[in-house]
Amino acid sequence: MAADIILETQQLRREFGALVAVDNVSVKIRAHTFHSIIGPNGAGKTTFFNLLSGNLKPTSGRVLFKGRDITHLPLHRTAHLGIGRSFQITNIFPNLTVVENIRLAAQALGRDNFHFWRHARHFRRYEERAAAVLDQVGLAKRADAPARTLPHGDQRKLELGMLLAPDPEVLLLDEPTAGMATEQVPELIDLIQGFQAAGNKTVLLVEHNMNVVMRVSDYITVMHYGQVLAEGTPADVTANEVVQEAYLGTLYGDVATDS
Amino acid sequence: MSLSAATSSPRTRRWQPYLAPLGLFIGLAALPFVVALLSGQSPAGVLANEAGSAKFIQGLLIEIMILAIVALSYDLVLGITGLLSFGHALFFAAGAYLTGVLLKSFGWSLGATLGLVLVSAVLQALLFGVVLPRVKGITFALVTLGLSEVFYIVVQSRELGQYTGADVGLQGVPPPDFLNPTSHRLTFYLVTLIFTFAVYLFYRLFVDSPTGRVCVAIRENENRALMLGYNTFYFKLVVLVIAAITANLAGTLHALYQPVISPNIASLNAMVDILLMTLIGGLGTLTGAPIGAAIFRLLTFFLDRWFGESASFMLGVVYVALVLFVPYGIVGTWQRRGFHLAAGRRWLLGLLTGRGDG
Ligand SMILES: Nc1ncnc2c1ncn2[C@@H]1O[C@H](COP(=O)(O)OP(=O)(O)OP(=O)(O)O)[C@@H](O)[C@H]1O
Ligand SMILES: [Mg+2]
Repeated sequence: MAADIILETQQLRREFGALVAVDNVSVKIRAHTFHSIIGPNGAGKTTFFNLLSGNLKPTSGRVLFKGRDITHLPLHRTAHLGIGRSFQITNIFPNLTVVENIRLAAQALGRDNFHFWRHARHFRRYEERAAAVLDQVGLAKRADAPARTLPHGDQRKLELGMLLAPDPEVLLLDEPTAGMATEQVPELIDLIQGFQAAGNKTVLLVEHNMNVVMRVSDYITVMHYGQVLAEGTPADVTANEVVQEAYLGTLYGDVATDS
Repeated sequence: MSLSAATSSPRTRRWQPYLAPLGLFIGLAALPFVVALLSGQSPAGVLANEAGSAKFIQGLLIEIMILAIVALSYDLVLGITGLLSFGHALFFAAGAYLTGVLLKSFGWSLGATLGLVLVSAVLQALLFGVVLPRVKGITFALVTLGLSEVFYIVVQSRELGQYTGADVGLQGVPPPDFLNPTSHRLTFYLVTLIFTFAVYLFYRLFVDSPTGRVCVAIRENENRALMLGYNTFYFKLVVLVIAAITANLAGTLHALYQPVISPNIASLNAMVDILLMTLIGGLGTLTGAPIGAAIFRLLTFFLDRWFGESASFMLGVVYVALVLFVPYGIVGTWQRRGFHLAAGRRWLLGLLTGRGDG
């Protein structure tokens, strides 16, 4: 059983002044599963992700990756473990082209970072990887456009492409469809699910769209005021009375006001 | 097809950016002879180091090229990598003083001097590197400015006066005969020209290399680069080492060329001048640095002439006007085919406050 757990938090806590954004959260993520985290705005989901990816240091508690304590790992080491993340608020290199954003993501974990005069395009591995990812996320036609000039929906695809490019083992996806046109959402979710299934990856997804969450998830963790309110399969969570009373109703309300 | 979009013919495109510089190089190498012809001198006179317009032009261009090398190295640090340092004058001044002292007081050969200048350049970069992970943004700029100010004060101290010439400056540095800028002006001119273009060429290649692309990414969004797995510290260190070596060698040229090495080259004023040159040309363009250096040199010449005492005030006016109305500089504005004032000001403000692109 324990061997199955790829990512684990123990009493993870993060305070912002008097506010406890993540309140002693202990979660176990099973390898090769699709695990969603839901919760209303301000529940602490993004903060939780920031603690997992090393963007924020916890006030207390630990993060374990394959049983190893990674709580105090420098930020740039996380990716080398095979943990990648994408951001709720698009986080790209705005003045670089689309293909270059992806190529930089692909190159990061390779061994060619310290070549001082050969043109980057001669490193075919990353070129080809970037081209393949661009095809996957449907941005091949925009490859040479500066990233800042993309419409929001395409920037979300780029954000996802940058996550996929290094082929991480664990994907932390913070609302990948945030602000996207509704009709584009299923396509993107299918893409993520396909990537997860084909590569036997572990996906941790924050998502507000309950239809999506119920459809794709193996497990769901419900967060509320920084705490874990409930955990289990989609069926468990749907059936959970506490969740229903305290939260599911309001969440659907959130979705309505969001869009 | 998608693949072609990502990989379109790097070979043919690669050489295009070098055609104009190559033409300029040939033109500049021929310029003294052209000037001689136009002013009624014989081209043979240029080879014989005759006084006249051709020699004057070479002198002016040597000064501009030395400035251009310094500006290029600063553009690599601030414009390409987004690392805000106000200590860049230290690199130039240390190279100049070390060259001068070793040649004059210790009688070292030029080769040995160059060797120690290189070692010292790397040490200076490492010194900045010690500061690097500890302070960010504007604080890094201020700490590096402090380091540079320490040097400025030390070279003027009376205790070191016998070596540095204290506040008067270091005089009487003996250049090797073959490179004597007075008696072998053309050789000195061509050496400076070759070095300038070698630096430019290497910087161009560097910016397109895997390392250089990461440096640009650091300027754009360092946090994201870290998250992708890049240990950005090492990339910044590489840039500091390259820039320090470049600027130190420019300092060597300065020491060989100028009759006096003034302590002012280590001052805050000198730093501001370096920044102004890169701003005029356009931060992050590389091409802008030599253009900015040329304009700056001519500008100071004429401002001194027209305004005398208040020339530095006028230079300040130029500064403000640039930041406000040409934030991308000459080359940057040309590349964007427009001034883009709002975006440009935001971008420049981000760079000059060490916040990256906002
Ligand atoms: N850097 C910060 N400084 C202070 N407070 C913060 C910071 N980041 C988050 N918070 C607060 O912590 C709480 C949790 O925020 P978080 O962004 O983690 O929620 P979330 O579940 O991701 O919400 P959403 O669904 O809106 O994205 C919020 O009250 C937020 O205002
Ligand atoms: Mg969030």
